[in-house]
Amino acid sequence: MAGPTIDHMVSITVLVAALLLTFGLYNQILASALAYQRNHQVVVKAVDLMNTICLSPGNPPNWGQTNSTPLVFGLQNPEAAGYSLSPFSIMRLRSSENGQLVYYPKTGLYYNNVSLDGGSLLMPVGDCVNYTTVAKLLGVNGSYGFQITIAPTLNVSVSQVPASYLILKVQVRGPGLPLSGATLNYYMHQVVSSNDSFPLIITQSGVAQTDSAGSALLEFPSIDDSDDAYSFIVYAHLGGLNGVGYYSHDVLDDKPPFIVPFIKDLEQGIIIIAHNWDVHYYGSPVPAVHYNATFFVLTENFELRQVEIVNSTGKVNYGEGEPYATTQVPASESGILFISYRWGNRFGTVMVPWGISTIGFSVTFGGDPSDYSFVATELRQVIVNEISYQVKLAVWRLKG
Amino acid sequence: MMRTVEVLFVIIIIVGAFIVAAQFAVLPSPREIFGTDLRELAVSTLQTFDAKYNLSRIVFNDENDPAWGALQKALSASLPPNIVYNLTVFSINTTGGAVTYYVENSISNAEGDLGTDSEAASCLVTSSEVTFGITPEKIGGEEKPRTLYILNCEDANGWWITGYTGQSLASDCYNLLSPYFETTVLVNTTEQLELLLENSTQIGGTIQNAVVINTFGEAVPIPSNYCEGGSEQSKGYQSGSYAKYCHTLGVRTRLCNWTWVSIVGYPLFYVTNTETLKNYHNGYRIYGMRSVGAAGLNNFLRGLDSKSYSSSDNQWLTKDIKEQLEFTSEARDFSNYYGIYPAPSPMASRALPVTGSLSIESRYQLTRRATMFKLKTVSGNQYSPAATFSHNGGGALTAIGLTRIPDIRITVLDLLMYYRPNIFRSEFGAGDTSRLVTLQLSQQGGT
Repeated sequence: MAGPTIDHMVSITVLVAALLLTFGLYNQILASALAYQRNHQVVVKAVDLMNTICLSPGNPPNWGQTNSTPLVFGLQNPEAAGYSLSPFSIMRLRSSENGQLVYYPKTGLYYNNVSLDGGSLLMPVGDCVNYTTVAKLLGVNGSYGFQITIAPTLNVSVSQVPASYLILKVQVRGPGLPLSGATLNYYMHQVVSSNDSFPLIITQSGVAQTDSAGSALLEFPSIDDSDDAYSFIVYAHLGGLNGVGYYSHDVLDDKPPFIVPFIKDLEQGIIIIAHNWDVHYYGSPVPAVHYNATFFVLTENFELRQVEIVNSTGKVNYGEGEPYATTQVPASESGILFISYRWGNRFGTVMVPWGISTIGFSVTFGGDPSDYSFVATELRQVIVNEISYQVKLAVWRLKG
Repeated sequence: MMRTVEVLFVIIIIVGAFIVAAQFAVLPSPREIFGTDLRELAVSTLQTFDAKYNLSRIVFNDENDPAWGALQKALSASLPPNIVYNLTVFSINTTGGAVTYYVENSISNAEGDLGTDSEAASCLVTSSEVTFGITPEKIGGEEKPRTLYILNCEDANGWWITGYTGQSLASDCYNLLSPYFETTVLVNTTEQLELLLENSTQIGGTIQNAVVINTFGEAVPIPSNYCEGGSEQSKGYQSGSYAKYCHTLGVRTRLCNWTWVSIVGYPLFYVTNTETLKNYHNGYRIYGMRSVGAAGLNNFLRGLDSKSYSSSDNQWLTKDIKEQLEFTSEARDFSNYYGIYPAPSPMASRALPVTGSLSIESRYQLTRRATMFKLKTVSGNQYSPAATFSHNGGGALTAIGLTRIPDIRITVLDLLMYYRPNIFRSEFGAGDTSRLVTLQLSQQGGT
């Protein structure tokens, strides 16, 4: 009797073990297939969103140049076709990377900050479109998260080379490798004193070429590398690929910049020239600042053409009874507002890009994908007002 | 022991089934499913490189040209390091209707084939050395060449042409239409207009069978002599109304077989002469202008139809179409043929009746041609927003009854639809005018 019983027990145990193992393996295959399917939906959504963002101007098509909220979201340049983005629509995205807001008491408004060294772009938060609004307009609010990164394809870095006079090293790199043989069109705006209190700008321009390592040395014998204030802009281009870089140097005796520009009205092109002590109080002495503002339009041939603007010179100071100054630039033209300022023998500069691409600003907009297990990414090459950019889109599922 | 052996058989069957099932349940590689859309990346790369026609210039260069090296560097620098590419340029040869493609040049940063996971995009580029030209046929041909007269009178004011002046519209008309006419004459003063109306050869061109475009909107320039107290007053003024002038225009249009063109609004609603009528305004403080009202168009049509002048014929004809207009299929075809693209979906507030008791077609023996927009029905009758009405006895009226601001392209297109001149297209330059560029991308690394 014991033999058959043991036989039954052994056989049932082995059978159950084999069945459990097999069910586990089948389950694994099914789970992988389901995960593939779910993730594939995210990938499809990423392609869909990328096409919508890059190949549609939104509605109204020129929403980037108005103060109104778009009814349909898209970043395509309404005056161009294909992968060409509007430099103004991108300006209105509330950046997620440089998320800190700047409060300016004299207007009572908070400003979205995408400023970098030497360049400043402070848009009123109320005029920016935020992540939630765009997610709703794209129809993914609550179901998918996304992050858009719009950055120049070429990294044009500029650094100073130690010498008795100013020598700048320009290095041009793409994501793949250094760009040798690239043509460089550069503009040096030197700030000098004048007979009156306002600073003067002396512009030098030239053309150079990068060597096999993608770099070039540019010499400016008339400029002292430590005692002169200047801003330097360089446009690099080769075989249809265009990039921009800049560098600026102030002579402020370790004080912070005196001037902070804020965009007041995007539709009208009005820019506030504010005293920095009104934004952050740095203590005495308070500089009484004379400024000189110049607007340059970027042409198709990468030339900077000066355009007359109102209130191009003026004086700003800190405190009540000292109103900020304003100037107005041509709202539909991409360019750079170059503000030089002076307090005694201290000189400084700040640049405001009118259109995100003119000094190669990049923008990161959207949520944070770091906590999600699967993130689909898409990449496109685009043109933003003559400058080559890349748009990277990361998409992830929020539910399920 | 027997049961254990049976179970072992069962396990073998289950494992066998699993292995067989697993063979069929092969999932695609993650790179294939989750990688970047390489085809769209290739499309965007080609588009951005050709944004300023750089690609178009380079691909027609000799393969030893340094520009190819620059393109290769730019491609390598712009694409991520894990992407390899192959850009191939094909020349296109058409022989006996058969199209053949020959590889002209190829650049790549990969050795050999990019593999089956690669994606490709292509675009057709045209050589910058190629010139595409068009030669318009002259309206009327060589036997009966027609002259285009454009009213550009410096001593006249416009109305219903908000944002423009008659002179600026005349300039636009000249640029768009003069290639289709043997002779184009700008009528620069109302004195010159009088020469035209008096059939004087001094004006230049051939007055018979001409096209006369009034660019002053609802106002029509009037010579001083045709005004009250002028030497030719009987042709322009009677019993306090300038509708007589419009009647004279209608008669001249019929006798000279003109096509009279009103570019916007209610035709012939005012007369204008900034010198003689300088003390009058049109009711909206535009001086140098007097209102004629609906009697102007009515008497023009009477003159066109050999009917006598009537001072009491001041019945309002037009209707306001309170919806957007649609181009007729004929208008769309001609729009593409002539390459003239007016703003879509305009509105009309001065559409003319073509059915019912007020129909200008039945009352004045007119035939509607070159119908630009689909007819609209208002109060049971059909109205035409823009068309050319030709009179059975000679002469025609082109009436564009749209709202302001005027779109001169509609007038131009309607005239071209009416006369239908041919366009002879030609292509100059080298035979190798187009090339096909393909960019193949593949992702390296990963699985």
